Amino acid sequence: MGCTCSCGKEGETRILYACAGAANTGYLADQVARKLSREGMGDMSCLAGVGARLSGFIESAKAADRAIVIDGCSVACGKKAFEDNGIPLTHFMVTDFGVEKKKTEITQEVVDRVAGEIRRALGA
Amino acid sequence: MKIQILGTGCPKCRQLEANAREAVAQKGVDAEIEKVTDIDRIMDMGVMITPALVIDGEVRSVGKVLTADQIAAQL
Repeated sequence: MGCTCSCGKEGETRILYACAGAANTGYLADQVARKLSREGMGDMSCLAGVGARLSGFIESAKAADRAIVIDGCSVACGKKAFEDNGIPLTHFMVTDFGVEKKKTEITQEVVDRVAGEIRRALGA
Repeated sequence: MKIQILGTGCPKCRQLEANAREAVAQKGVDAEIEKVTDIDRIMDMGVMITPALVIDGEVRSVGKVLTADQIAAQL
């Protein structure tokens, strides 16, 4: 987690959000977002803050050049939280990458693979 | 009324503070203006990009330098 000063910034300001739900897929979404953030894809912020409509989280998400939301499953809570608040997003769902909710064991290999797929989809 | 300017002291933060002071003078409102430079306090408010403007605890803008007129319209 970090905070970016907009003075003289270079490149796209990206903020990553993960659903971090209770299922294995929520755990995977969180781990993937953390890995992507560590690799410099963007700073992480709290999806719950957007869902709770806390002003700082909402305005930050709106101010980002790209808000990347990683949901765990097709319930797509993250996507709905953003859409309900009228915030544009780039959306991913880990179940689109061959992961099954309540079935797939979340290993480091799975985290690395899904993070790699998302990184490629983002062109990074 | 309490106005907070969030930022680490960069040129945009200073400009936003100046604009906020001008807006307060324009409107003639009684307002306390606080500069918040502590990054942990800024992030505790959910703010990920500075500068940011907070009025009475509500974050009104992030990553932008609002003009004095734009701020005055929110007071």
